[in-house]
Parts: sequence; structure tokens; C-alpha cells
Amino acid sequence: MRLLSQIATRLISYFLVIAFGLTTIFFVPRFAPNDPVEAMLAKVSSTGSFMDAAQSDALRASLTDAFGLQGSLLEQYGRFVKRVLLTGDFGPSLAMYPTPVSELIGRALPWTFGLLLSSTLIAWVLGNFVGLLAGWRPNKASSRIMEAVAITIYPIPYYILALVLSILFSYIWTVFPLTTSVHGAPWSWAFVKSVVWNSILPAASIVIVVFGWWVISVKAQTTALAEEEFIRYARLKGLSDRRIITRYILPNAILPQITFLALQIGLMFNGSIVTEILFEYPGLGHLIYTAVIQGDYNLLMGTISLSIVAVATATMIIDLIYPLLDPRIRAR
Amino acid sequence: MSETRNRSGIRSGGIAVFGAAALMVGSMLAGVPALAQEMTDVGTPRDQTLIVDMLNARVANPNTMNPYQQGVTINQGLHQMAEALMWDIDTASGKQIPDLAADMPEALNSDYTKFKVKLRQGLTWSDGKPFTADDVVFTADMIAKTSGIAYSAAFNNAIKKFTKVDDYTVEIETTKPTPRLPIVLGSLIYGNPFHVVPKHVWEKVDPATFSNFPPVTISAYKYKSSDPNGSWFLWEKREDWKNSDVGQIVGEPKAQYVLFRSYGTEEKRVLAMAQNNMDILTDISPESLDILRKQNPNVHAWYDGFPYANLDDPCERGIHFNTSKAPYDKAETRWALALAINLQQASIATFSGMLRASPLGMPPTSVLMKTYHKPMVPWLTDFALSDGYKPFDPDYAVKLADQLRSEGATDIPTDPDKVRDLLGVGWWKFDPDEASKLLTAQGFKKDGDKWQTPDGKPWTITINAPADFEVQSQRLAFAVANEWNAFGIETNVQQMQDGPFFTAENTGNYEVGSYWGSSCGIVPDPFVRMEGWHKDYVRPNGTATSSNQGRYSNDELSALIDKLRTVPSEDPQVVEIGTDILKELVKGLPSIEMFGTSKFVPVNETYWTNYPSATNYYEGPWWWWSNFKFIAAKIEPKAK
Repeated sequence: MRLLSQIATRLISYFLVIAFGLTTIFFVPRFAPNDPVEAMLAKVSSTGSFMDAAQSDALRASLTDAFGLQGSLLEQYGRFVKRVLLTGDFGPSLAMYPTPVSELIGRALPWTFGLLLSSTLIAWVLGNFVGLLAGWRPNKASSRIMEAVAITIYPIPYYILALVLSILFSYIWTVFPLTTSVHGAPWSWAFVKSVVWNSILPAASIVIVVFGWWVISVKAQTTALAEEEFIRYARLKGLSDRRIITRYILPNAILPQITFLALQIGLMFNGSIVTEILFEYPGLGHLIYTAVIQGDYNLLMGTISLSIVAVATATMIIDLIYPLLDPRIRAR
Repeated sequence: MSETRNRSGIRSGGIAVFGAAALMVGSMLAGVPALAQEMTDVGTPRDQTLIVDMLNARVANPNTMNPYQQGVTINQGLHQMAEALMWDIDTASGKQIPDLAADMPEALNSDYTKFKVKLRQGLTWSDGKPFTADDVVFTADMIAKTSGIAYSAAFNNAIKKFTKVDDYTVEIETTKPTPRLPIVLGSLIYGNPFHVVPKHVWEKVDPATFSNFPPVTISAYKYKSSDPNGSWFLWEKREDWKNSDVGQIVGEPKAQYVLFRSYGTEEKRVLAMAQNNMDILTDISPESLDILRKQNPNVHAWYDGFPYANLDDPCERGIHFNTSKAPYDKAETRWALALAINLQQASIATFSGMLRASPLGMPPTSVLMKTYHKPMVPWLTDFALSDGYKPFDPDYAVKLADQLRSEGATDIPTDPDKVRDLLGVGWWKFDPDEASKLLTAQGFKKDGDKWQTPDGKPWTITINAPADFEVQSQRLAFAVANEWNAFGIETNVQQMQDGPFFTAENTGNYEVGSYWGSSCGIVPDPFVRMEGWHKDYVRPNGTATSSNQGRYSNDELSALIDKLRTVPSEDPQVVEIGTDILKELVKGLPSIEMFGTSKFVPVNETYWTNYPSATNYYEGPWWWWSNFKFIAAKIEPKAK
């Protein structure tokens, strides 16, 4: 009964967080000094198309209507809530009018998910493994070297690191393509090969940077845990290093890492803007960037809403499964 | 959103990172040989494929090529290689030319509301169906009757109806006197929203939702294939290219394929050209050009020496004011600010002096220099402010050339006339004393080194500037801020992304901005550029407008614009009236015009040659305009 009550409370807070997030993402862009109609008119004007003032005003009115921006903010909010709740439809992109936001997100999502899920998991596994070993035997030469590598790589600005990788592996040694460009019929072997080939360099750039953070964080925890009394007791009992690490240290060190991993997976829905821009990777980050600079309310709401729901869901799942992972929480 | 990134001349982190990156690219690439390559990465023979940089990077909705959907990108090659307009532009002569039309329109009445237009005969669509007046009339009716097309309202405001006379003649009626019909329905720069579509395809679909993918095309190329993620689009020469506008006007295009390719960031685009994976780049910074020329000896700029850039871009750059806001509502204040700028320093700070100065509200292109700038020098020299001061300095270019030479620049002509041709006929004197005099007369005071407004408050100027686009305007804002700060006015630069930047301009939510307003144009007829200054278009701050964003109201100027409206483009009076308008703009100085735009647009001669250049000036380097198809047809394979 108590468990059911906890779950119900958690679910209510989950839906409240999402409602608050969606409301915020509706109003915040509208309070910014960025009007998508004016951005679109500027695009028309920058192409040299001559329209006299009356023509421009007619186009302005027509775009305001087409973009669904007529009426007060509250009226627009009412239409937004009705449309999103009833149909899950975020409407057309304003910058890429009239392409539906759902179509743009649907096309970008698998790319972002594929890139970030694989690179996040690889970095997490590698980083935790190396950090654990480095923390357990901090004075060994191999531990010092691994830690030094992590500390050296971690502070390098991501943009510079990714550019260096590009120059090394796409220009000096032309192993990987400069930017993402896939070939072959969808889901054919050639296509899959092309996608993997194009993703290696952007994924490597993320793994290298994120790897350093995982190493440093888990090493700090492992070093602290190694001084705990229950570890000393295990050593005195004559247990092997391997057993101490896997049975005593890992379960304690890994809990915060799992929490952070879940949040990272939730944040994947934000895309990785710099990676996607530098490698011309067709993911969500690119879409969010476009939405922000063009004042594309609908696309911004679509992409950020996805992120809000993903992070809220990830944290809720973690909250619900934590008792299964940590007996102390079960006991409370 | 992404506003106010930095202040007081401190360049953004983005620029710093870019600078570091550019330096790194330059140093790491030293000595790396360009790579030979026989096939492109899309599987076409490299020596038969012309590779062109896509202007707006990757296309997010690549499976849509309906030009009547407002947010659809068409510069992935559709409008440069596959479509044709009624009238296009010859940028070398500065004249519009017939494209789908066989000639310029013939006015059928004296008030210019009815026209006869002959169409080009012998054209076919890429599916083999003939192009006739039915296609043109259908397109006009379709736009007029489809409210789902955003352009419909603007079109109906100008055009009453199209009527078919015979298979190759149409009559066009306008809603109001329109002595310049070809600018309403044809290209002056870049393109025009009126795209003739094949009736036999579009009559069966809803034009507001139709994807038009793959498109049926009218020009010499047809769609071949593309990346589903929008990073490249391949166009193939039609077997029946003779039945296209290009086939009739220029002849057979040499490239079998034209590949529009996006490599994203400037660093990647530069690497791609250094690797010979790119033949034509859209504009890059002078620093990147420097790196590129060192990496690949086959890369050429518009000029082989100083100033490297093409200086004939149709837009000019400067500082614009919201003249409805004090203290910028007074001409004397604006003049004082102009005289507080050392343009030589601003030119060097912006693009190392590789800029052509303009004292007029008219871009200093080669054609317009001959039409306006040079003939107006005597008037500019005699022009005096209300206190009798003569602000024009005809020796600006000569002094700048001397300075550049003393700093080690080479290839700068020594003949003063040639120097003025290159760097401009002159500009306003740098005269802080006269600037101070003008300000003091307006009630401004100096407190120590800093100026105060007439009401005794510190005078702070914020210049709106583009953030990650239009790099010349961005750098110019910082250069001017440095000049004004040195003069004693606290000046900041507020960098903004394009959405907020243009929203602020249109709604009047700015005081000073590094904008370019309606200053773009390439033909001697100044109508398009000057129409926007009419006082009728002044809107209250807060109400959006796409004309007269400077909210400048001047009766004499507006009367001249009224007169210009009634005169057709080809009438000799056009230049006389245009000259009078430019004089009014100098007197009132609603914007401080400073430079034409310098475009660093490199080409790669590894596989192709006969690109337009300063010494082979058959067209300007406007790869992203609709007239690129005429340039592409003249580019030839490099002899092996």
C-alpha cells in the first residue's frame, strides 16, 4: 500500500513537471525579441525579391495566419494545449514551413539516438572500468598514465578536439569522410555500412571527451571507498582484488554513475549541437539550433518537449528502480 | 535568446575559437599535398562533375522542392540549375535579360497597367512536354487562387490577371501602374518568387502541399539523386539541353553533372576545397582564403592579387539609424558620427583594407560607379554642411593605398585613378574637431574624455550586429565601435542571430545597427533601393515594416521617389532622378553608408576552368543566384 502511494505521488510529480516544462517552452520563446514572421520576411528580402510595402504587409499577414500566430498569447496557448494533448501534433515548422515538426523530428531522432546512445554507453563502460582500476591502485604506473590521459583530454575544448580529429583522419589520412554523407537505398547493407562509417569520427570525438569525465569521477569515488573500513576488513579477510572490486567497490561506486547515465540518456534528446554542426550530422541538435536562431516556435516546442519528457521519464524510472539496486533504500 | 554575447569591441568566443581553429588548420596542413580523385563520393566521374558549395548548408527538408512553400530551400540547385524565371539578370552589364520571356515586356497603355509578353519558343520541360503560354497563365492563376500559398497575397496585390493570347504570347494586367514589370516578375539580384511551373503536373495536385519531388525542370539540368539527409543534391545535364533556356542563350553546358554539396562549417568547406572535393565556394573570410591559397595552388580568388575579393556585390554596408529616436533624429548628430570615423582604420580593421568605399546610398559596383559615384564627385566635393564645412575627401583611396603599401601590401595600383576605381571615389573626412563642433552646437557636452547627451546623461551607443552571419557587417560594427569609443562615445556591439536581428530592425527596436536595409541593387535604375525610403512607409516603433526601417521622413526625398515611380527603367530621366535622390540622402544622412560588400569566393581550377574573374568578367561570382546556370554553362573542363 505504501509502495503504491509512493508510485502514485511520483507519477503525479512526473506529470506536473512535464506540464510545467511544456508551458514554459510555450511562453519563453514568445517573450524573446524574435518574431518568426519577421525572420521569414527578412529571408525573402535577402533574396532580393522586390515587394513594395503593400505586398510585404500582405505577405506578413498571410504568414502570421499560416504560422498560427494570430490572437492573444492565451488563445494561442489554448490552441497549443488542445492540439498537443489531443493529437500530439506540434504543427508545421515555421522556418521550414510547411514541413511538419513531427516529420523533422522523426527523421533526426534515429541519428541522434544512434550516435549518442552508442557513444555514451561506450564512454561510460570504458570510463568506469579505467576509473575503477585507476582508483583501486592509484600508485601503479598504468593507473597514473590512464589518469593523466583522462585529465589531459577532458579540458580540451570539444570543438578544437573534434576539428583536430577531422584534420587528422579526414584530411591528412583520408580514412573517414569530412562530414556526414550517406549513400545507398534506405536500410540496404550499403546504407547501414555508410551510416556506421560516417558515424565513427563524431562518435569517437564524443567518447574521447566524455570518457575523461567518467574516469575522473569514478576514480575519486573508488579511492575514497578503498579507505573505508569495510574494504580494509575485506582485505584483511584475504579476499582477492578482483572480488573486492566487483563485490564491494563496484556496487557502491556505480550507483551515482547509473543515475548520471540515466540523465545523460534523457539529455540525448537535446542532441549534441556542436558535434552535429561540425560533422554536418543530421540530428536533433541541428534542428534545435535552427529553431532557436530562426524563432521557430513550433520546432523548438517539439524538440524541447521531447527532451523534457525524456529527462522526466528517465529520472522517474531511476527513482522507481533504485530500491531494486540499493537495499538501503528498500529498507527505509 | 542568443543576444548580447559581448560588449565594447570584445570579439565573441566564437570568433576567438574560429581564429584559433583557422590558425590550427593553417599550421597543421602545411605541406600536405592535395589529393587527386577520379570519382566523386556520389559515384560520378570527377572530371565530369562540377561541385558547388551549398549556400545555406544542409537542407533539413530535402524531399520537398515546392518553391511556393515559404520555408522550402531552393538553392540546393533547383533555382540555379533547373528552373528559369521570366526575366533574369546579366550582372556584368547590370541589365535584366529575357529568360522564359523572349523579350522585355511591351506596355499596351500609357499608365503601365497592361503588357504584352512574348515567350521563348522551342523550350520543353524535362519530361518532354512543350513549354507554352498555358504554363505561364496556369502558374499565375494558381498563385492567385491558392490562399495556402503565402506569396498569393503579395502577388494579388500587384497582379490583376494573366491572359493567353496565343501559345507563345501572354497579356499581363497589373493592379496599379507598374512601369517596371520585369522587377516584379523577374530577378534583379538572386531570384524572384514567380516560378513558372508545368501545368500538366501541377494541375493535378494541391499546390500548397505538393512536394514537387523529384521536380520536372525547364532549364538545362534535371534532378538525378540526393542525400536523404540533405547534404548533397546531384543534377544531370538533360539529353535535350537544346530545348532549354540555357541551350538557346549560351549553348551546351560542359559539365555532365553539377553537384551541390554542403560541408557545413567554414573550416570543413576550406578543407574540402583544399582536397579538390569542391570547385566553387560561396563566400569565406579573407583569413580562410589565405590558408586555402597556400594549401592548393589551383585555388583562385576574383583577383589574383590585392584585394582578392570581388567588390561588385549588390549590397553595401554601413551604419543605419532609427531616425525616429533621439539623438539620432537630427542630421547634424548623424553627420558628427560620420566625421568621427576614420574610414581607413575601419577598412583595415574589417577586411585588411580590401573594401571599396561608398559615400552614397548606392553600392559601388563597377556599373554603378560609372553611373553615379564618379559623375557625382564634383557635387560631393562642393557639398557643404549647414555651417559651410565641406566634408568630402576625394583622396581617401589614395591615402589608404599609401598606408597599405607602407604596411607591406603588394599589387596595389599606383595610378590615383586606378586606385579610386579599386577603393572608391572618396569618403567623408576624419575630422574629430568638426564632429565635436557639430555635437556642441546640438547641446552635447564633454565630461572629461566622454560625451554626454544634451540632457546631461552619459552618451552610450549600442550597435546591433549580425552574430554568426554577414561577417563584414559584423566586423564593421566592431570597427565603428572602436572609432566612436576613441572619440569619446561609449559604444557597445550587440551581436544577434538573424531572427532577433531582423525583428529588431523591422519593428524599430534599435537605435543604431550594422544593417544594410534596402541598399542592395545592381541595375542603374535606383527604384528598388530608393522606394523604401518613402515617408509613407514610416511606421511607429513597435509596428513591423519591411520598408524604411530607419523611419526616416523627408518630404523632398519622398517627392523625388514619387517622380521616380512614374518613369520606366530604361528612361534616361531615371539616372537624373536617382542622382537627386542620392544628394538628398547625403544631406540628411539617415544612414552612414561605408563600403560595398567584398566577397571572397574562391574557385578551384584543378578540374574546371573559365570561371568568371576580374580579368574574365563575363558575370559576377554569384553562384547562389538564379543566373548561375548561365555561368555554369561557360565553365569548361581543364585540358588534361
